[in-house]
Amino acid sequence: MSWYTLPASVPWLTLSLVIPLAGALLVALTPGEARRVVKQLGVLSAVITLVLVAAIIGGFQQGVGNLHLQFEETLRWIPSAGISYHLGVDGLSLFLLGLNALLFLLAIVIVDPLTPRLKQFILLLLILEAATAGILLSLDLILFYVFWEAMLVPLYFLIGVWGEGRRVYAAFKFLIYTVIGSFAMLVAILAVAAINFSQTGQLSFDWTVLVQHPAAGIWHLPVGLGTIGIQQLLFIGFGLAFAIKMPIFPLHTWLPPAYTSSPIPVVIVFAGLVSKLGAYGFLRFNLALFPDAAHSLGGLLAVLATVGILYGAFMALVQTDLKRLVAYASMSHLGFIGLGIFAGNLLGIEGALVQMINHGVIIAALFLVVGMIERRAGTRLRAELQGLAATAPLFAALFLVVSLAALGLPGLNGFVGEFLIMLGAWASFIPMAVGAGVGVILAAWYVLRFYQGSTQEAPPRPTSFGELRAAEVGVLAPLLALMVLIGVSPAFFPAAVDATVKALPVLLR
Amino acid sequence: MTINLSGIGIDYGAILPELVVAGTAIVVLFLELVVPPDRRRWLAAVTVVGLLGALVATIPLWGQNRSAFGDTVIADSLAAFFNVLLIVITILTVAISPRYLQALDLDFGEYYILILGATVGMMLLAAATSLMTIFLGIELLSISLYVLSGFARTALRSQESALKYLLLGGFATGFLLYGMALIYGATGSTTLRGIAAFTTAASSNAGSNVLLLLGIGFLSVGLAFKASAAPFHMWTPDVYEGAPSIVTTFMSVATKSAAFAAIGRVFIATFPSISSRWYFPLALIAIFSLFIGNLVAITQDNLKRMLAYSGIAHAGYILLGVLPGTAQGFSATLFYIAAYAVMNFGAFAVVTAIAAGGEATADLRHWRGLFYRRPFLATVMTIFMLSLAGIPPTVGFFAKLFVFQALVNAQIWAPLIVAVVMTIVSFYYYLRVIVVMLAAPEEAPVEKRPLGIPTSTVLGAAALATVVLGIFPAVVLDWATRAASLHF
Repeated sequence: MSWYTLPASVPWLTLSLVIPLAGALLVALTPGEARRVVKQLGVLSAVITLVLVAAIIGGFQQGVGNLHLQFEETLRWIPSAGISYHLGVDGLSLFLLGLNALLFLLAIVIVDPLTPRLKQFILLLLILEAATAGILLSLDLILFYVFWEAMLVPLYFLIGVWGEGRRVYAAFKFLIYTVIGSFAMLVAILAVAAINFSQTGQLSFDWTVLVQHPAAGIWHLPVGLGTIGIQQLLFIGFGLAFAIKMPIFPLHTWLPPAYTSSPIPVVIVFAGLVSKLGAYGFLRFNLALFPDAAHSLGGLLAVLATVGILYGAFMALVQTDLKRLVAYASMSHLGFIGLGIFAGNLLGIEGALVQMINHGVIIAALFLVVGMIERRAGTRLRAELQGLAATAPLFAALFLVVSLAALGLPGLNGFVGEFLIMLGAWASFIPMAVGAGVGVILAAWYVLRFYQGSTQEAPPRPTSFGELRAAEVGVLAPLLALMVLIGVSPAFFPAAVDATVKALPVLLR
Repeated sequence: MTINLSGIGIDYGAILPELVVAGTAIVVLFLELVVPPDRRRWLAAVTVVGLLGALVATIPLWGQNRSAFGDTVIADSLAAFFNVLLIVITILTVAISPRYLQALDLDFGEYYILILGATVGMMLLAAATSLMTIFLGIELLSISLYVLSGFARTALRSQESALKYLLLGGFATGFLLYGMALIYGATGSTTLRGIAAFTTAASSNAGSNVLLLLGIGFLSVGLAFKASAAPFHMWTPDVYEGAPSIVTTFMSVATKSAAFAAIGRVFIATFPSISSRWYFPLALIAIFSLFIGNLVAITQDNLKRMLAYSGIAHAGYILLGVLPGTAQGFSATLFYIAAYAVMNFGAFAVVTAIAAGGEATADLRHWRGLFYRRPFLATVMTIFMLSLAGIPPTVGFFAKLFVFQALVNAQIWAPLIVAVVMTIVSFYYYLRVIVVMLAAPEEAPVEKRPLGIPTSTVLGAAALATVVLGIFPAVVLDWATRAASLHF
């Protein structure tokens, strides 16, 4: 926000990747019995990362730099294959980077020190943090892919080893879905570079190079099945990976088991951040590298996103398990982000970017609330909970703020993003905007029923529901503060990302 | 090609590494007579010293192009690349051998002689530029390995493995030799240079010379057998399972590497002019290997058999790099071979270490909870499994990436799609090993022997190489590119 200038000689972005990894290394070298030390090391590296990222956000200068990229770092990596180590940050990734650092800190803070194999758990969380940050910072397609795949392994083990219920099944289903998408993307990445090489004679996987020469031409399908534009084909290749990760209906079936099986610290980063990486991928690659295809395929994806909004909302309505309810709510809200992106106009995309932050904040808070309920009541079933406000008024009050933000009350953050997205969608696809409106109404229904059902009415059940402890308030506090801050200064985020979004190739055609 | 006996280019310098290894074998042969049985570790030490000498002797060959012995062998970067690879594999194998051999009461000096003999054969195969030397190399390595497979004399499985390998191997050698005879008949030359000159000459019409094509076909069968590519892979799972684990470790990596050196020399350097003729059969072999290797590996509950099928699958990936017939493709092949050597050696070395530790089984059931019993072995095994599956940041990822890149650049789509789909399938069985190792153990821990410094160093080094090369692959890729570019 250009409040100050950071010295350019320091590799700030690399540091933000290295610190979690260094923390992971320290944790690995600590004996597993020293649980307190392990956790403190984890928290410490997450705090340092957050401070560093905050410094980067503060020093980011609006509308400066090549393609609005800042803090760029380029090193030769595999020159003969056209692969380089290229990091940079712009309006698309800046705030997600902050969200990443914040959510991982919260996740590590709430880890129960009695978790079995705590050391490995913290270790994997720190590696995951570096991988997700790498995804946001990479400007080389192969580097991006490396981080994208590297993210998979820690997540797989975090669910498969520390999860609950059918955790191995859930982890495996998630893995298979993700890997199918990843490999489609890998082939597309190789094809993008090959096409660019044949068009310009330059072998490069660098985003800043590829973005200037969108692929052209058509592809003849085998055995006379007609033709398809090269851009469309590549768009589908990348889009498959991102659509699965988001997820976009009908590629969502891995989500309910995966979210439900994840332990709470994992699901916070999983739902709060990882799902957004799919949306980020659409913005960074699909909309930037294949603008023509984004226009021609955007309508279809907007329809799917709207179906996702409604499907997620209806499914959330009928869930009895609160964790599953929030899982479907998350999917429904991600539909809004998808709709904003595929609307393909300035309002929609800026709304999507704001909503990505909002979604991370709100869904993380909702899952935190579910975790608090479960720890106290020993159950997550809606039917077994009521009147919690009687014994835990502060909990109920904070929960109310989270709920209101989730259903999009003006004055809180959820409203800002949803409103911008609806405006954007209205400009491009009126029926989808109407469908999204229905989704907002349904969201009010399931969120309020969740809130009212569990906190109101008498007699309280369970009777011994304890009030929030100071530490728990401390965990919720930054999220609540963001909900209010974004809500009362709605112009802040759109203004901060304006320059980057306006330069997106999809808006220039 | 006339051979003038007085000046055929007897150039011992060109085959110095091979000579050093062969000399070491002879030294060990004599030492074995005088070294007392409880000091057999000395033999391993002498073997390693000899191999290090061969490694040093290889260095001057890099960047040269020295044909010797009447054009039958060549000292060039490709040969040097494989020399280094094969010698390093052999050193690592020998370093972890004593612990295993003592545990299974197989500690005889002949073991080292046979390993060295096989290594000479493989090095010769990588340097061979004549059908004669190719055959010589293959026989030398095969006969040594036949004996090594049956080295556990008292174990019935080992006997069975040796016999199976011998019979099927003999059959494959028959094909190979017949193919060579046909090629000689068609071209009138046994040196690859002479054959290449014949096929590239416009007048020869090589593309429709039935004799030549038949010969190439038979030759391919013989080489594909050694590389254990489907459908010539039938021996692989049984031999890998039955042979002593240490022998499996060695042969699964080294034999395949050497066979691919020959495949590269034959197909890319000798028959580029008729690539349209060999492209389709070779693509079929690659696709078969990918399908059979990956799909059957899913059903295996024995780790050695699983790795055998995984090895067949990897033969498919490596062969994919040969398909484009380009320098980029062949350098991707070489990189893949090096990557495969590191990670597969590591995986089998873990199996060997477990087998020597009193848990004489490769059955996956016994690996339950390995993370809690033997955290070091389980951790390095995890790295090798992730690398074999091709998950970054491991060397296995870049191996696949470079091969895929070569295929995309050559616009070879069908085999690429098969490879991609089969890679997804392979995640299942590689990650299953990790999940099993993480599961809660079922049975009481078995009595275990300490790993010892050599074994843990070798395993640690292999794991470290897998990760470091996965982060900095450029150097090895550079070597591979320079070794591969000689032919073009």
